[in-house]
Parts: sequence; C-alpha cells; structure tokens
Amino acid sequence: MSSDRINVFPSRMALTIMKARLKGAQKGHSLLKKKADALTLRFRMILKKIIETKVRMGEVMREAAFSLAEAKFTSGDFGHIVLQNVNKAQLKVRSKKENVAGVQLPVFEHYLDGSDSYELTGLSRGGQQIDRLKKNYATAIKLLVELASLQTSFVTLDEVIKITNRRVNAIEHVIIPRIERTLAYITTELDEREREEFYRLKKIQEKKKKMKVAAEEKLRERKARGEISREDAANLLEEGRDEDLLFTD
Amino acid sequence: MSAYMMPEMYFNIDHGYLEGLVRGFKGGILKQADYLNLVQCESLDDLKLHLQSTDYGNFLANEPSPLTVSVIDDKLKEKLVIEFQHLRNHCLEPLATFLDYITYSYMIDNIILLITGTLHQRPINELIPKCHPLGSFEQMEAIHIAATPAELYNAVLVDTPLAPYFIDCISEQDLDEMNIEIIRNTLYKAYLEDFYSFCSELGGATAEVMCDALSFEADRRAFIITINSFGTELTKDDRSKLYPRCGKLNPYGLSQLGRADDYDQVRAVADIYGEYKELFEGAGTNPGDKTLEDKFFDREVQLMKNSFMQQFQMGTFYSYVKLKEQENRNIVWIAECVAQRHRAKIDSYIPIF
Amino acid sequence: MSHSGVKGKLIAVIGDEDTCTGFLLGGVGELNKKREPNFLVVDKNTSRHDIEETFRGFLKRDDIAIILINQTIAEEIRFVIDTHNEPLPAVLEIPSKDAPYDASKDSILRRAKGMFSSEDMR
Repeated sequence: MSSDRINVFPSRMALTIMKARLKGAQKGHSLLKKKADALTLRFRMILKKIIETKVRMGEVMREAAFSLAEAKFTSGDFGHIVLQNVNKAQLKVRSKKENVAGVQLPVFEHYLDGSDSYELTGLSRGGQQIDRLKKNYATAIKLLVELASLQTSFVTLDEVIKITNRRVNAIEHVIIPRIERTLAYITTELDEREREEFYRLKKIQEKKKKMKVAAEEKLRERKARGEISREDAANLLEEGRDEDLLFTD
Repeated sequence: MSAYMMPEMYFNIDHGYLEGLVRGFKGGILKQADYLNLVQCESLDDLKLHLQSTDYGNFLANEPSPLTVSVIDDKLKEKLVIEFQHLRNHCLEPLATFLDYITYSYMIDNIILLITGTLHQRPINELIPKCHPLGSFEQMEAIHIAATPAELYNAVLVDTPLAPYFIDCISEQDLDEMNIEIIRNTLYKAYLEDFYSFCSELGGATAEVMCDALSFEADRRAFIITINSFGTELTKDDRSKLYPRCGKLNPYGLSQLGRADDYDQVRAVADIYGEYKELFEGAGTNPGDKTLEDKFFDREVQLMKNSFMQQFQMGTFYSYVKLKEQENRNIVWIAECVAQRHRAKIDSYIPIF
Repeated sequence: MSHSGVKGKLIAVIGDEDTCTGFLLGGVGELNKKREPNFLVVDKNTSRHDIEETFRGFLKRDDIAIILINQTIAEEIRFVIDTHNEPLPAVLEIPSKDAPYDASKDSILRRAKGMFSSEDMR
C-alpha cells in the first residue's frame, strides 16, 4: 500500500508541490462532481422524456397501423406496389449538435425533400384513406425522429456520465489518496529525518561529554604521575587567544 | 339466331351446371349471424374457431400458431382462387371468355406490379409470388428475361391478353415516363370499356345485368379518381383520359367531372343522377360517418346481390367473385381489428346476406 | 448549435410488410446507387441470419441515421442490438400492429432501468 505513491524525493520543496497538487485535485474533483450532477440531471430528464415518448409512440403507431388496415379494407392490398415503387426518400433527417455542459448531443431534425412518389396511389380506390394513412405515418415518423434524438442523447450522455463518474471516482479514490499518501510519506520522512538529526546531535553531545571526562581523567592521572608539572600549563587547544606575532602594533 | 335473341333459353344447355354450382356456393357466403359471431372474437384463434363452423371449414387447420392476418388473407384468397379455377376449368364458351375477362382486372394489377419492379430494377422472380393468382398468365414465367421496361413491353406484354389495351393507349416510352398509377388506370379504363362491349354483344339478361354492373364500376371510378386527384399533379386533361366511358355519366357527366375543381363541384355533377345523388347525400367526412367510398361499397354489394339473384345469365359469376372479394375484405378487416385490439370500428364491415 | 452533416440522412426500417408499407408511404424509402433498399420486409420465411446481416449492413452505412425495427424482430437479434453501443445510428424499437409495445424488452430502456434503480438506491 505504502508503495503506491508518487515517486518523489521527500523534501520540503516536494511537500509544497504535493500540497498544491492536492488542492488542485480537490478542486477538480468538486468541479467534475458538479458536471456529473448536471449531466445526471439532464440524463434523468431525457430518460423521463424517452419513457413518455415511447408510450406515446405506442399509441401513435397503433393508430397508424390501424389506418393501414382501414386503407386495405377500402383499396385492397396495395403493399407490394408500395414496396416496389421506392426511389428517393422524401423524408430525411438532418443532425445538429447541442451543447450540454460541454457535451455535444446530437439532435435530429426531419425535413421533406423532393416529391411524394406515392401521390397517386389509390387514385381509383381508397385514395382518401391512403392520404390519412400517410399523414398518420408522417406523425409517427416525426415522433420517432424526436425519440431518436432523445435516445442518441441518452446513449451519448450515458457514455459521458460514465467517463465523468470514472474520473470523479479516480480522483476521489486513487489520485487524492495517492497524493495524501505521498504527503504523509514526505511528512513522516521529514519527521524521521528530524528525529535522526536530533538523535545524532544527542549522540555527539554524549560522545563529547565522554571524551571530555576521559580527557580530564587522563590529565588527572598524568598530574598524579607528575608528568605535568603545572596545573595551569598552557593548553594550545584551549587557549582562546594567541598573541599576534606578526601584526603587532 | 334465336340463341342470340334469347340466350336465356339456351343458357342451361352449356352453363346450367356451373350456374347451379355457383348458386350452391351462395350457401358458403357468411351470414349476418356469422359476422356477429366473428366480431365477438377475442383473438385470431377464436376467429379461426368460428370460421370452422362456417363453410370455410378448417381451411386454416394446417397453419402453425401464431396465426397472422396475412396468413388468413392468403388462405381466403387461395380458397376463392380454387373455386374460381374449378369454374373456369369446366366452362364452355362464351362463359370461358367471360371468366377470363374477370381475371383481367387482376392481371392489370399484376402487370403494374411487375412493371414497377422492372423500373426499379428489382429481381422479378421475387415479385411473381406476390402477384394475385387469379391474374397470372402464361407469360409470367418468362418475364424474368425482361430486364428493361422496353424489353418487358416488346417481349412479354404484347403477348398477354392485355396487349390490346397497351397498344391502344400506352407506348413503350410511356412505361418509363408515366406515373405507374396513371398506367394502371388507363389500362383499367380500356379493360372496362372492352368488357362492357363484350357483355353487350352477348346480349340478353347477361348484357342487361353486366352493363349495369360495369357502368356502375365505371362511374364510381370516374367520381373517385376526380376526388382523389384534387391537390395532386394530375392535370384535368390527364384526368379526363382516365374516365371509363361506358357508364351513365358518359358523356355529359364526365365532361362536367373533367372540369371539376373541388368536392362540391363533383357533388353538383352527381346531383343530376338520382342514384349517385343519394350516395353523396349519405356520405360525410366526419369521423364515424360513412365516407363516399363506403357508400359506393354498400351500393356495389347491393347491386351484386341483385345481379347474383338473376337467373340464366353470366353476371352471376361476376357478382359471386365480387361478393366473395368483399367478404374476404370483411374477414380481413375483422381479423385486423381483433389482432390490433382496436374494436371501435369493427362494425364497419359490409354484410352481404 | 452548429450544423454538421449538411447532407440529409435516411431512416431505415426493418419490419413486417405492413410496417414497411406504412413507413414507405410516409416517404422514408430510398434505393441507393447500388439499388440497395433502406428497408427489409421480414416475413415468416426470412431467416434470422438475413435479418442480422441486414441490420449489421445498416449499422455500417453512413447515410443512415435512424434504424426502426419491429420489437418482435428485434427479439430475434437481441444480442446484436445489445452490442450496438454507438449513439449513431440510433436503433429504435417500434411496436408492430399485432404486438403492442413492451418496454421491458427494449434494449435502451432495460439499460435505463438498471441505472435508475441503482441510482435511486443511494
């Protein structure tokens, strides 16, 4: 666990950098979270609309299918001729993009282009019924195009929300902990170093003390042995100040 | 000579058996009581059960569940075709030609389908099974050799029984350029007029009954075409060319219709003719009202019933086919309503007997 | 809002004969230069393989923006529809005349359901 941290040299400099990064990550997290919330809000709205539209579509399609039955009742089976008489589409869709919280959502829009190749279908029989049928299916298509926009937005948003959530989670559960761990590591490392330093200082002091005691002991011994005559013999080391030899006034 | 003057006298010698047969078929036509049973069905399987108790018997017995409306439609068609072909196989002239004439109207639909397919370069062999079996013709098998409309015209169409209709009014180029519906209606007009003159030549009760039926059909087409052409690219000139000229509207009514610009003007034309005036008066455009076409259907069924009842004439066969067609449409309609659980208009079927 | 794709795109239909007839009358039908239609009529003789191939073909065509498919037919190739995750083309499941719309089968709505309940939990 502790190995999962950013590879830095534990220094005060690194500590400051890490602190800045943590701040950045937290800011990013809250921003992304806000975005995710906004998208989810929109997403739910779309979902609600999809469900509504699907229900409505059920009714519209039912109506349309029934008008087909009506048309067949008056003009016999004209299905084959319609299926064969296909050339250029009269009704097409255009797609536009709408921007929601930085996400490009496609929006379809239908438009009529060219002439109705079935204008005269049912001329001698059931023409009015077929007209109504065409209108019903045109309504159905309008609704379906609307639904398609919603559904595409749904899929796109779903994807984007997933990505955003993944990012939010990544920041929350990976990046921030890692930075925090790094910070903790740096702090402990720095503390550790401080303690070591302290210990070392203590150790040196102790050693110095020992040395001092030993030296005094030695001195006393030597005194006792009479090696040192004078108690106040000048100690070269201890002497605070030598007389200047050269630069005397 | 006397046979020409009084064909009824000799009718039974050649056609008595078949007429008897068709009269027997009348028992198979669904009654009002049958319809009342059918409209109460909850599902298509129910419907199948009810149909089993009628003359249709177990014609749906071999169909796997779930039953669909299109299967019912196909089976109904098949049954009618079998009956019709039985009649056709056992008949003598001139009834044979008469029955052939009945098939020509289906043939027109088939040919239109094939032409459309060829124009859009669709594989023809896919289309052949979709043609109405009553309108099949020998050359249909050979039609796949025709890849372009020109080939179709020269190699196939000129050999069909419909060739005279084509040659008179549609050229090879027209196939490419004309709207397919205009071709269809042009052919149909030629066909109706031809059938009409054939029936008048037969004379006697046949002529009487059939000319009535065909002139009604002609007038109906004229009215409906006029009304449906409003707001389309069809010009008045072209429209006038589609009116079959064998009805009661000819010539004065048709020339008036040719000039009509809206529904009211069509209505004004109909006002001159008592029987049509009545139909227009009963028709409304509000939901729930019977439309003009519904009115025409009612009237057609009425007419066909009457002509079916007349003895010693060939109109019986024509009416039988027409009535049966209407019955098939009724059954399909009820089946659709049941399948789609849309019962509000289920009673719009047109009962026959 | 900006315009992208100035050229209009098509609506493709995979459905039973009546569904196709209806939408074609609504004016969506087109044959492209290779004479390929943008619709498929599915009857009882159409194999699942054909449906799948056509559906995949529609997915690949860049002139198609929306694919309409009867729910009953969608059931046949559910696995293909479920694996289609791109926003374009949009696949819409529509009811057929004798089978009313069943939201519980819809790939998109099923996906939504899963999300909703888990999201509503927290």
